[in-house]
Amino acid sequence: MNIEQNLQKAEQLLEAWKKETTHPESNRLDVSISVDDLHPAVGALHEAHWGYLSAITGLDLGAESGQLESLYHFCNGAAITTLRVRLPRTGDAALPTIEDIIPPATFFERELHEMLGFKIVGARNIDRLFISDDWPEDVYPLRADFTIDQAKPVEGRHADELPEQGVVGGNTFVVPIGPQHPALKEPGHFEFTVDGEVVTAARMRLGYAHRGIEKAAESRNWIQNLYLFERICGICSHTHAMAYSLGVEKLAQVEAPARAQAIRELVAGLERIHSHLLWLGVAAHEAGFDTLFMYSWRDRETVMNLLEQLTGNRVNYSANVLGGVKCDIGLEQAKAIKDGLNYLETRIRHYLEVVTTDTMFLNRTRGIGTISFAEAENFGLLGPTARASGLVRDVRVEAPYGAYKQFPISAVTAANGDLEARCVVRLNELLVSCFAIRTIIDNLPEGPLTVKMPRKVPAGETIARVEAPRGELFYYIKSAGGENPARVHIRTPSLCNWVSVLEKAVGRQLADVPMLIAGMDPCFSCNDRLVTVTRTGERNTWSWKQLRQYGIEYYKQ
Amino acid sequence: MNNMPPLIAILIFPAGLTLIFTGMFYEWIDRKLVARFQNRVGPRWFQPFADAVKLFAKEQITPGLANPFLFFGLPIIAISGALTAALYVPLMGLAPVHSFPGDLIVTVYLLSLLTMCIGLAGWNTSSRFSLIGATRSLTQLFAYEAPFLLALLGPALAAGSWQISEVNAYAQDHWIVLSQPIGFIVALIGLMGKLELPPFDSPEAETEIVAGALTEYSGRGLAIFKIGKSIELIVGITLVSAFYLGGLDGILPYLLKTVAVLLVMTVFQSLLTRLRIDQTVGLWWRFGTILVLLQIVFMIFLRGYPL
Amino acid sequence: MRFGTMLKDIVDSFFKKSATQLYPIERTPPPKRYRGALFYDPKACTGCGLCVKDCPSKAIELVILDRAAKRFVLKYHRDRCVYCGQCVVNCKFKCMGMSNEDWEHAALKKEFMVYYGKEEDIAQFMENIATPVTGETRG
Repeated sequence: MNIEQNLQKAEQLLEAWKKETTHPESNRLDVSISVDDLHPAVGALHEAHWGYLSAITGLDLGAESGQLESLYHFCNGAAITTLRVRLPRTGDAALPTIEDIIPPATFFERELHEMLGFKIVGARNIDRLFISDDWPEDVYPLRADFTIDQAKPVEGRHADELPEQGVVGGNTFVVPIGPQHPALKEPGHFEFTVDGEVVTAARMRLGYAHRGIEKAAESRNWIQNLYLFERICGICSHTHAMAYSLGVEKLAQVEAPARAQAIRELVAGLERIHSHLLWLGVAAHEAGFDTLFMYSWRDRETVMNLLEQLTGNRVNYSANVLGGVKCDIGLEQAKAIKDGLNYLETRIRHYLEVVTTDTMFLNRTRGIGTISFAEAENFGLLGPTARASGLVRDVRVEAPYGAYKQFPISAVTAANGDLEARCVVRLNELLVSCFAIRTIIDNLPEGPLTVKMPRKVPAGETIARVEAPRGELFYYIKSAGGENPARVHIRTPSLCNWVSVLEKAVGRQLADVPMLIAGMDPCFSCNDRLVTVTRTGERNTWSWKQLRQYGIEYYKQ
Repeated sequence: MNNMPPLIAILIFPAGLTLIFTGMFYEWIDRKLVARFQNRVGPRWFQPFADAVKLFAKEQITPGLANPFLFFGLPIIAISGALTAALYVPLMGLAPVHSFPGDLIVTVYLLSLLTMCIGLAGWNTSSRFSLIGATRSLTQLFAYEAPFLLALLGPALAAGSWQISEVNAYAQDHWIVLSQPIGFIVALIGLMGKLELPPFDSPEAETEIVAGALTEYSGRGLAIFKIGKSIELIVGITLVSAFYLGGLDGILPYLLKTVAVLLVMTVFQSLLTRLRIDQTVGLWWRFGTILVLLQIVFMIFLRGYPL
Repeated sequence: MRFGTMLKDIVDSFFKKSATQLYPIERTPPPKRYRGALFYDPKACTGCGLCVKDCPSKAIELVILDRAAKRFVLKYHRDRCVYCGQCVVNCKFKCMGMSNEDWEHAALKKEFMVYYGKEEDIAQFMENIATPVTGETRG
């Protein structure tokens, strides 16, 4: 079924509730519905298995229009259907929750609530996700009338000032992992209630690395934002820049030249190698296999040196400019990349062998954290975590962008869904990437590296989806025709994958927990782009039990 | 008995100060070997001494919930247990400082005293991580104690005595590793469990429970515990090499054999992933004990045939 | 059942040199394209200010002493620069470049501002700061 047929099908499904439909781009369908029809509309799309909920964006349409808008983006292959709901700004902007249909929506709804002030009716848990606990009530940072002097910390609600949550009676007590913990490479807070060694409950709090990036983007011009977004994450940095560039180029109706797109894909492939080798080391370190950690990180130096030779920096490559790339591949770089890849391929095959045959390592990974195909779909997982359960969710395959149409990537999946499968999927992806990079170098299209971009990007909205090493990266960019963007909403893959940890941790030993966290390859910096500080004393934090119950009920139907 | 005045023997050579320095030196060898296996440089020779000096110079923070007597006293008891255990083994290849029938059991249990003190210290500080670390430490103690002692029992049975110096003397004529290979392997792996070296370092798993039972220790207490552990390293290796590798009758054979055992242990450390605590216990009670029991039964049948 | 799949690696490493570079005793020079500190050549500069406009972190300021006579001083904040290279891309007259030799940016003192330009221009600029004179600055 091609994109048009797909979108037609979606339109038919929403026949009963749509007020207005538009096709802002060839692969997008925008359907405006009223707030009361939201729940049944979402239900209809979900029942028909039309795609998955990719993100929920909130917009403040400004004081003149007096409305807030929330956009529900459903992605099916390359087709995107967006349900648009408008609500008045003043008073209760009440949205019905859709977490009973789609459990992962709870994260997106919490973000909507704390950032823009939507009231989510019927939500089980509407705690703050990213914003600090001592942030004042009723102050919503992404609103147009937000000023910095509204952000005064509220006394007595800082995490340090709350009573310590200590041993909770009997044999069970709570083990905090984070915000500072050797298991975590970045801060995040998890609380596992254990009974002896077995985990009985899991909670989590994010937002420690929140930096206010979405808000900051509104006061910088389009070019400055490129570098801002690149620094959201160190290891996915190129994919962020690429997604942003693709989005802005679409808005400006220019297309980067073929050579530039190919170089973008090449750098993305090298970045993937970098990211997955880093992940392998971290996972091995969590398991206690320090030797594999040291060797995979030693081999990662090779890829970082290649990137340095090509782009000029080991991390935050800044290869992209709006309209193309900055760095060209000459003969010298091409040869260096090929030599480097030869070495890396040998090592990656060796690690594949280690990961699948070493008995002691398998003791820690085989059969642990198994997520079945149905659960993966239900949880809304993305990236290699989903592909390890057999669910093919890969934007490069389903909705090829840029040079991926010319140099395609084959999807790598595994069937088991346990930690071993995730290791295998990631390493096999690297082999696919190496092959793709070689093909690109041999068949690099000739041509210019950049195309001229206007300084003022025409008004409009666009959605750019890109496959980061951790999963689908979703950028919603809205321009009002000026030099600065009106709104940029970023949904990173790690946000969708947290469910896998919290669900699967229960019933397992405490020793497996760091492996589970590492198994979904969390990127906290990608995750928390907004305000920080979290309170640990919240009693009604995210209820995994209810989420689990929904999951069980859902696939019983 | 050797011919040195007892006070010197206990305090300076071969036990006491020499033991402490040798312990730190062997700790350095261990770290350096693991680093070289991982293609890294590794620390310089004085690193463990520098660590000890630094720790002694730092402030000791006592957690609020801990009993101060236990908090300060447990490291001292632990190290005294380790130091006393060292008096009965042939350090430096010389005859043990003191010897009496049955001192094998006493030595092994004085080493366990160290582990029990660590467990108790973890419980005492009652931080969430140290509690889990203490529980794991004691669980592991129950797991490997039996096979380790039985593995040491094999040579003792062969020598017909429970006295370490007599087993050492017997072993000098018979390389027991050849006749009891399974016992040797179990003893070696049991030693790794006792010392909480990877893959049995679940009690102090850095990525799960920060530092296990010793999480809240800093300054002097931590330094004393660490020195106690390096002494345990020496005593354990000395026992295993004395019993299985043909006895220790001089400084040179001592150094060669103990470093060889350490080398094998570091290879195991680098090759194997950490086991979860339930896997450790399962492994020991299923394979370790059964294997070593088989070995002993086999040996008892062969008792009549000298090797 | 395989134990010790990395045995070959371990044994090989024991006899090989370690992979660690003993910095600062051994220093490998960075590759040609490395984006180190910014340098500026005032000869071709026309004072358009595009470099300043698109800097993500406001690390450059262009001080115009005399536009007609093309006397400019570039103030470069080394501590604010993120080494992205956008200024280099923007400059149509190739006045800017990123050094691949000046990459060790650890400093003992807090003087991070660097002034680029012709000698006499910088001297005059320093005088101007000392005695406040209204001069046009783009920054």
